Amino acid sequence: MARKKELAGLAPTLFIILSVVFLQQAQGGPSDTGATGTTRPRAIGRVVSQYGPMEGARVRLRGGDQLIVTDEQGHFTVHGPLPPWNMPMVTAGKEGWFNNGVILGRFGLVGDISLRPVFLADDPGYQFNSPEVCFDCHGKVTRIWNESKMAHTTANPKLLDMYYGTDAEGTPGQGEGYRLDNPRSNGNCATCHAPSAAAGSRWSLDLRGVLSSPRTEWEGVSCEYCHKVRRVVDDPSTPSGTTAILERQAPVRGRSILVFGPYDDVVVPPMAASYSSLYESGRFCSTCHSHLKRLGGGQTWDRKLIYSDKEWTGFGFQGDTTLPIQTTYQEWKQWQESLPAGDPNKEKKCQQCHMSWQKKLLPYDNFVVDGGARRMWGAYRSPEQIRPHHFEGGTKAQLQNALAMEMEGEIQRNELVVKVHISNTNGGHWVPTGEPMRSVLLLVEARDSDDKPLRLIRGGRLPEWVGSGDPAEGHYVGLPGAVFARVLADDKGNLNVPFWRATKIAVDNRIRPKKTVTLEFVFALDDPENEPSAEAGLIYRPVMRALARAKKWQVEDIPIVSKAW
Amino acid sequence: MRKGVQLILAVACCLLLNTAGWAWAGSIVGVVKPQGLRSPEGILVYVAKAPAGPTDGSQAKFIMDQTQLAFIPHILPVLVDSKVEFPNNDKVAHNVFSLSRAKKFNLGSYQPGEAKTVQFDQPGVVDLRCDVHQEMNAYILVLNNPYFALTDKEGRFTIPDQSYLGAHDVKDVPPLSPGKYLVKTWHEKLKTAKKKIEISAAGDTTIVFKPKRGAPGVLYK
Repeated sequence: MARKKELAGLAPTLFIILSVVFLQQAQGGPSDTGATGTTRPRAIGRVVSQYGPMEGARVRLRGGDQLIVTDEQGHFTVHGPLPPWNMPMVTAGKEGWFNNGVILGRFGLVGDISLRPVFLADDPGYQFNSPEVCFDCHGKVTRIWNESKMAHTTANPKLLDMYYGTDAEGTPGQGEGYRLDNPRSNGNCATCHAPSAAAGSRWSLDLRGVLSSPRTEWEGVSCEYCHKVRRVVDDPSTPSGTTAILERQAPVRGRSILVFGPYDDVVVPPMAASYSSLYESGRFCSTCHSHLKRLGGGQTWDRKLIYSDKEWTGFGFQGDTTLPIQTTYQEWKQWQESLPAGDPNKEKKCQQCHMSWQKKLLPYDNFVVDGGARRMWGAYRSPEQIRPHHFEGGTKAQLQNALAMEMEGEIQRNELVVKVHISNTNGGHWVPTGEPMRSVLLLVEARDSDDKPLRLIRGGRLPEWVGSGDPAEGHYVGLPGAVFARVLADDKGNLNVPFWRATKIAVDNRIRPKKTVTLEFVFALDDPENEPSAEAGLIYRPVMRALARAKKWQVEDIPIVSKAW
Repeated sequence: MRKGVQLILAVACCLLLNTAGWAWAGSIVGVVKPQGLRSPEGILVYVAKAPAGPTDGSQAKFIMDQTQLAFIPHILPVLVDSKVEFPNNDKVAHNVFSLSRAKKFNLGSYQPGEAKTVQFDQPGVVDLRCDVHQEMNAYILVLNNPYFALTDKEGRFTIPDQSYLGAHDVKDVPPLSPGKYLVKTWHEKLKTAKKKIEISAAGDTTIVFKPKRGAPGVLYK
């Protein structure tokens, strides 16, 4: 009898222990593998909307790497470990719907996760929030963005000089200027350089007018502008050929800020977040990293002199009336489309390089929110899920690894034959890319064993437009070498004209992604017994020399790599 | 008993003399004092032409690690035909590749914890990159003989570097036989320095290099 009483007294304790063990196994215990070796589901549930079960919704444990897609009946079963730190939550998201989530139930059972649609209710009068608002929660991300070129697209002095025809000192009438040639046209620079302002206006905007507007309208390509893009559509009327369709609902869900982004698991009160695959796609970048000029008036140009049919159709162009000014997006797109399935470079996106982790950003972070926001709503993520917003491009560090060079030489009787191999190693587009004022110069020289320069007898020399004068000051005309650039020209034969005057492309020998260009230079060698040497250097020139001089811009050449033989 | 001890001592002395004799007969020792470089460490010094001998590089194993957005080491000299493993010990995926003529390869993106291996069968400089992290850059120097060494923190070196070779399963490298050799340096930021030396049977040959900052040359002309 007494023994029975003892056992009865132990029963509650035993029950508590068994319950704890069971819950541990169900909710992030040390293992979710059962005794039989089968994997116990972490969570089971269904995603629904007001219209019924939702197929194709993206489900995961918040912050986790493992993605589950719901079946026809909206059902999901989630396995795998719980991410550390996070409140255990199962989230769901789908394009066109607001993300949602529920706290993980005691036994891994999750009720229905209900998604609400993002209704089409764009408000063109919406006043964009300043990045300072975003800074409150996303301090680190905003700080990185603020140091990027994206944050300074509107007040970029070189842009304003090219727009108004001023120089670095503000003197009017110096060098080219869009408004000098087009006094009655505002142009469409604001579309990309001040997108928040341009999106709120039915008319084209003068850049000075933009700078006079509230600051939130000209803080570059701002956080809110990008994260209000719902989709990108083809639009032949725009300079890029595509247009960003915005969704500026304000407010939604009370005071929540509507944002689109690559996360399907952001479920926090300050934001009404909606997953969009666009943010992991190169197409997102196409609205600005593409600049096409329609010649108009029945005018054409002989593009076959410059581009093969394959390249031209690869750009997505038809006919001979389009003048490609900037085609970074098309260059990447045609490279990707040319790769066979299974190629290691297939599916490489702009974001993978231009929003990748950098050494200066280490140690790795596991959150995209900071401070108090992290404590309340932060989701622990692997660094692989986080895209630092530095948008680096055209910097010294990046250029020095965009290209590689190798040399080889051979003495053939009285000649030294030097071969230079230049590879576009890391550019997923042609190099150089972007605005055509940029170029890459190759300089080659050979000397005998007495250090006397050898005479070039076959091979390329640098053209006049790289600058004539003292080579020590960067004037390399006539020296053995080559220049890689897209050169715009007009009908009078002028080279390196601004895009609004251009009627054709004179040269486009830029280096294609992952391709190697080999150039041969032959030098006279008087004494075949001599032991000559050769040296080659690659230099990135951000702005053509004549333009930089006219504008009084202080732009330095960037040495990329030099090699000797 | 005494005779036994004497025999053991005699054998030990012979072994010692034999082992030490390798260094005495054909080692190249010296120092590199680069101009315009923060540290003299990690500069390759190598014999440009030497008999490959019986050394087989195909059994050699080297590691090029990936951690904290860097390849480690920055310069990895290997013997031709060696295998190099590329473990990803970082927290993000990496994509090791090279477009160098000595070895073109692309390992594709792979996750932390994974490793892939490449065999290097042509001598030359292999410029390593990561396709998604543009700062990541390193060099694998594929050498056609085992007579090379990397400089230490003081810029010192000994060729052949038995401890380096032994650590990578390159064993039984004989000393260089007496004769004339061309010794060169390689570092990505230094002009190639070279010296003609003569190794005698008498002992070590000592050399000092003072390479200047500039364009590096090819490993073998």
